Amino acid sequence: MTQQEFKRNCLIAVTLAAFALPLVVRSATYLHILIILYLYAYMTTTWNLVGGFAGVLPLGHSVFVGIGAYTSTILWLQYGISPWIGMLVGAVLAAGVGYLIGKPTLKMRGAYFALSTMAFVEGIRVMVENIDMLGPLKLNGPRGLNIPPLQMGEGSFWAFQFSSKEPYYYIILTMLVAVLAMTSAISRSKMGYYLKSGGEDPDAAQALGVNVARYKVAAMVISSFLTALAGTFLAQLTLFIYPKSVLTLDLSFELAFIALIGGRGSIAGPIIGALLLRPVTEFSRIYFSATLPGLHLIILGVVLIVVMLYQPRGLTEPLLRIFDKVAARFAPALPDTPDTPDTPDTPDSPDSPNSPDSPNLPDTPDAPAGPDTQGTPAAPGATASASPREERP
Amino acid sequence: MSLLQVQEVTMRFGGLIAVNDLSLEIGRGQILGLIGPNGAGKSTAFNCVAGLYKPTEGRILFDGEDVTGQKPWDLCKKGLARTFQIVKPFQSMTVLDNVTVGAFAVTDHRDEARDRAMEVLRLLGMGGKGRALPGSLTIADRKRLEIARALATDPKLLLLDEVMAGLRPTEVDEMIDIIRALRERGMTIFVIEHIMRAIMALSDEIVVIHFGQKICRGKPEQVARDENVIKAYLGENYGTA
Ligand SMILES: Nc1ncnc2c1ncn2[C@@H]1O[C@H](COP(=O)(O)OP(=O)(O)O)[C@@H](O)[C@H]1O
Ligand SMILES: [Mg+2]
Repeated sequence: MTQQEFKRNCLIAVTLAAFALPLVVRSATYLHILIILYLYAYMTTTWNLVGGFAGVLPLGHSVFVGIGAYTSTILWLQYGISPWIGMLVGAVLAAGVGYLIGKPTLKMRGAYFALSTMAFVEGIRVMVENIDMLGPLKLNGPRGLNIPPLQMGEGSFWAFQFSSKEPYYYIILTMLVAVLAMTSAISRSKMGYYLKSGGEDPDAAQALGVNVARYKVAAMVISSFLTALAGTFLAQLTLFIYPKSVLTLDLSFELAFIALIGGRGSIAGPIIGALLLRPVTEFSRIYFSATLPGLHLIILGVVLIVVMLYQPRGLTEPLLRIFDKVAARFAPALPDTPDTPDTPDTPDSPDSPNSPDSPNLPDTPDAPAGPDTQGTPAAPGATASASPREERP
Repeated sequence: MSLLQVQEVTMRFGGLIAVNDLSLEIGRGQILGLIGPNGAGKSTAFNCVAGLYKPTEGRILFDGEDVTGQKPWDLCKKGLARTFQIVKPFQSMTVLDNVTVGAFAVTDHRDEARDRAMEVLRLLGMGGKGRALPGSLTIADRKRLEIARALATDPKLLLLDEVMAGLRPTEVDEMIDIIRALRERGMTIFVIEHIMRAIMALSDEIVVIHFGQKICRGKPEQVARDENVIKAYLGENYGTA
């Protein structure tokens, strides 16, 4: 067994284990926690397409979650269109919005893009909170939209509602695996190389034939599309959406935090970040949501500072290094590149030679250090939380 | 017909005229040297040709087409590649990945791009360094990496901006050999260089600019004897020549 095969087998084993997990975990509460964890890993992965690969800092990705959630919910409530179709419609809409935000701002350097994404999500939230009817569409302002549950014990694929947690678990797990496979393929493709080089040094990349702005906009469109799918899933899982749950800076920042701490621009980063950080958020929400509503963002901010000081590329890199060592013990290394050693090989870099995805972008623009600046303290139970459905206001 | 024609190009930065009414041309397969004291406007002239700056006035023709003001990535696809005086490697990518970015100008397939990148690295004697990170390279290798990336885009015209600055004499000799070998493969090369011995040995012709203006053009030995050139170098920038 070569090292590559060993790693691939590990990956397959983990995936299979994840799919088999509901056979062991029977409790709906635990399954729900896992579902939320996967959902965050999914959203952070789609965030990473722009924020990691393209080297910019999107701070308003919840706008796409919101577009997905509202679109499918409105189509279902008012027109009886299956949320599965609404999911696609929402994704297409989100892709359009992503294009409109990205096209003018991704040409600019530095913080402009980050600021415009923040401004955009806030603008949309305030608008939705103040609009009851948008033409024929019922937004219902700050009260949000309720999806009436089907009759007790009834589940329906068409209605995207299920009587137990397992179907939700398998849907989000499938979405996560698919999006991971996709980002991994992108990162190894021309687009991945172009995004990464353009994010690191636009002048050099452009001189090598890379239309940097165009690739960034393309990444933004793909990312918006995929992020919106999560919005519909979230709406169907909680059966209740309102502006402060799906259109907040709170959620937007959390995705950025998870990605930055986990490892920006790496495939495993969002998963490791979500695994480590979601419990922090859940914990602080369960125990401190009444007294200290923004606590989780402060904790995440502090963790981010510490991680950036000691592991500026995030936590994934040291973890992968450990995994490499383990793999090396189980399997011999492969002479994988046909290098002619006409000069002695330089000491092995931590980066595997054939993946542009493992190294992360070196300079992370200043990330928001706390929630103080955002002006929207999270409402208790705001955004997706592991609290069971009945707890909603 | 010449491959590159620069016609009366002027580049202003606010009040500063960095390039002043510059005209020159390069025939296919030629090596043209561009020299001048520090701050004379050499790099700015390159940046105009490569599309990083749009010239304030004048025209640039490449391969018979007016390409004035076209973007760097489009010019790259048309066969114009350049290096930067201050090297700009992608620090977090391996040497091989750095060059692969360039090779994607020729192919959309990763394996082909990587093969091509490997080939270019071997050509420049860096075949064993594909896995290294740019930060671990010597100055000479960083300059070579800069050339390798440009070469991977399969250019007709290569612009080299001081690729020998900071090299030791033996490394300079190696670089001269590399550039000669490229020309033998049919490449046209426009080279800025401060090291006189190198530029004299390499160039078919040399253009000298001073304060953005062309003050002399000719064969290396003519230029070396030119009174204006000697004055420009000895007068203001004795140390740099
Ligand atoms: N982007 C820029 N903005 C303003 N001034 C510039 C810029 N680039 C170059 N210059 C100025 O133009 C002049 C020529 O610079 P440069 O072309 O780099 O000279 P050389 O390469 O011959 O040493 C210098 O005075 C420099 O300060
Ligand atoms: Mg210069």
